[in-house]
Amino acid sequence: MNVSLKRIQAIFIKDYKEFSRNYAVSIMILFPIAFALLYRSEAGDQAAIYAFIMNFSLAMLTSFVQACLIAEEKERNTLRSLMMTPASMLDVLIGKSALVFLISAAVLAFTTYLFGYETSNVMLLAAALGISILLYTAIGTICGLYSKTLLEASLSVFPVLIIFTAGPFALAFEEQYPFLEVLRYLPSSQLSELLVAMEVGAAAGELARPLVIISVWAVVLTIISFILYKKRLMDQ
Amino acid sequence: MNIREMNVNGQKIIPSLELSMEKGKVLGIQTNVQRKKILLAQFAERGDAYLSFAEQGEYTRLTVEELLRFMKSVSGHDKPVHSMLQLFQLGDYHKVKIADLPSSKKIYLSLLRVYYAQQPIIILEEPYFQLEEPDQLAFKRLLEELSEEKQILILTANLEDALISCDAIYRLDEAGLHLLDITDAEDEAENAHETGEAEFKIQKIPTKKNDKTILFNPPEIDYIESINSSAMVHVAGETYTCALTLAELEDKLQHYGFFRCHRSYIVNLQKVRELITWTKNSYSLRLTTGKDSVVPLSRTKLAELKELLNI
Repeated sequence: MNVSLKRIQAIFIKDYKEFSRNYAVSIMILFPIAFALLYRSEAGDQAAIYAFIMNFSLAMLTSFVQACLIAEEKERNTLRSLMMTPASMLDVLIGKSALVFLISAAVLAFTTYLFGYETSNVMLLAAALGISILLYTAIGTICGLYSKTLLEASLSVFPVLIIFTAGPFALAFEEQYPFLEVLRYLPSSQLSELLVAMEVGAAAGELARPLVIISVWAVVLTIISFILYKKRLMDQ
Repeated sequence: MNIREMNVNGQKIIPSLELSMEKGKVLGIQTNVQRKKILLAQFAERGDAYLSFAEQGEYTRLTVEELLRFMKSVSGHDKPVHSMLQLFQLGDYHKVKIADLPSSKKIYLSLLRVYYAQQPIIILEEPYFQLEEPDQLAFKRLLEELSEEKQILILTANLEDALISCDAIYRLDEAGLHLLDITDAEDEAENAHETGEAEFKIQKIPTKKNDKTILFNPPEIDYIESINSSAMVHVAGETYTCALTLAELEDKLQHYGFFRCHRSYIVNLQKVRELITWTKNSYSLRLTTGKDSVVPLSRTKLAELKELLNI
C-alpha cells in the first residue's frame, strides 16, 4: 500500500475545513475548555480533577471527532469514491488521524494552561497525553467503522465515554465488589494514577508502570482499528 | 468486458456475456434495476473501472473550488483548478458551498468525479436521471470529450436517459444483449427523401421516442396497443409510439406470427404463455415477458385464435 504525503495533506486540509464548518462536531472543543474554567479554582485534589478533565476530553473530543469524520464519509458514499482514486486506505486514515491528533493536542494543551495545572515533569505528562490521544483516536476509528451515519457515530461514542471516563470513579466501590479491580487497568485509571503519582513525587519505576500500560492499550487498539478498517472497507 | 452468468432463485437473470468497448464511443445498457445492481456489483470487482453510483454524496461543507482542489491533489490530476472550473462551466459557483448549490448542480458536480478517475474504464449509473436540461447537455459534452481517452459505459433503467449521450445502446434481458437500432430523426428524413421512389419491403417497425427513431425487429415486440388512436409498441416493459395505424401494423406483422386479438390490440403469439378464461365470455392472454403483461382477447377472435393454434 503506497502512502503519499501530498494526498495525506489534501485529506487533512479537506477534513479540517469540514470539521471547522460542522458546528455540531467542532463545538466539542469547547467542552474541555469549559470544564477547565469550571474546576480551576477548586482547591485540594488537583491531580485527580485534572485527570478527570483529561479523560473526559479525550473521549468526548478525540474519539468523537474521529468517529464522526469516518462515519460521515461513509454516510455520503464519498469513501467508496475515494477508494477508487489513487488515495489508499492508509492515506485516508493517516490524514484524518493526524488532524484529530493536532486538534486534540492543541485543545488539551490550552485546557492544561487554563486549568493552571503545574507539574515537575512536563515531558512525562506530554508523553502520557500523546499516547492517550493515539489510543482514543483508535477507539474513535473503531466506533466510526461500526456506524453507518453521523448520528450513529455520535451515539456510539457514549459507551466509550461512560466506561473510560467513569471507570476511575467506580474504583471507589472496589471493596464491595472486588471484580471492579479490572477497572484499574483502564487507560483512564492509569492516567489518573500516573498524575497522582507524579504529584506525590513517586520513584521513576512507579511512574513507568502506568505509562507502559497505556502504551500497550494504544498499540493493541491501533492494530485492531487498522485491521477492522481494512476489513470493513473491503466488505462495502 | 466479460459479464458472468447470474441466477436468482433458480431463474436466469443475466446470461454470461461479452461486451466489447472501445474509445470514442459511449455505450449504454438499458435494463431493469435488479440487473443494473448485479452488473454494478460485478464491475466493482474490477480494478480497472471507475464506478459512478447514483447515490454518490458530496463533501457538502466545502466550496466548489475547494472540492476540485481536493480531487486534483488526491487523484494526481495535472490541470489547474481554474481551468477545470471553466471547463465544467462552474465559474460562477466557485465560492459557493456545495450544500447551497441547486440540487441539479450538486449531482452534476458529483458526476464530475469521473473526470478525475485514473482508470481506463468509466461506468456511470443513471447519470442523467436527476439533472436539469442545461446540466444534462453540459455533462453530455464532457462525456464526449472524455470518451476520446476512456471507455465509457452508462447503465440506466430508462431508455430516454441513454438516448441523451450514448452512441450505441443495448437492451439487456435474460436472453442477453440486444443492440437497439437507432438513427437520428433528421438523418432518417433525409434518407427517406433520397430513396423515396425505390420499393423496399421494410421488415422493421419504426417507432419514436424523444425525437429518435428506433427500429424494432418484429420478434422483439411483445404487443401493440392502441391508445387514443395512436399505436403504442410494447418492448420489454418500455413503450414506444408508432406512427402506423393498427390496421397497417396488422397487415405488416401477420407474417411474423402476430395476431389481432382485440379491436385495439395486436399480440405477438410467440410470446403468449397462457390463455386465461375469466368468465364464459371474457378472455385474456398472459405473455411470457412479465406478470402484469396481460392482453385482452375478444370473444369474436377466440375461435380464430384456436384455429391458428390448433386447439
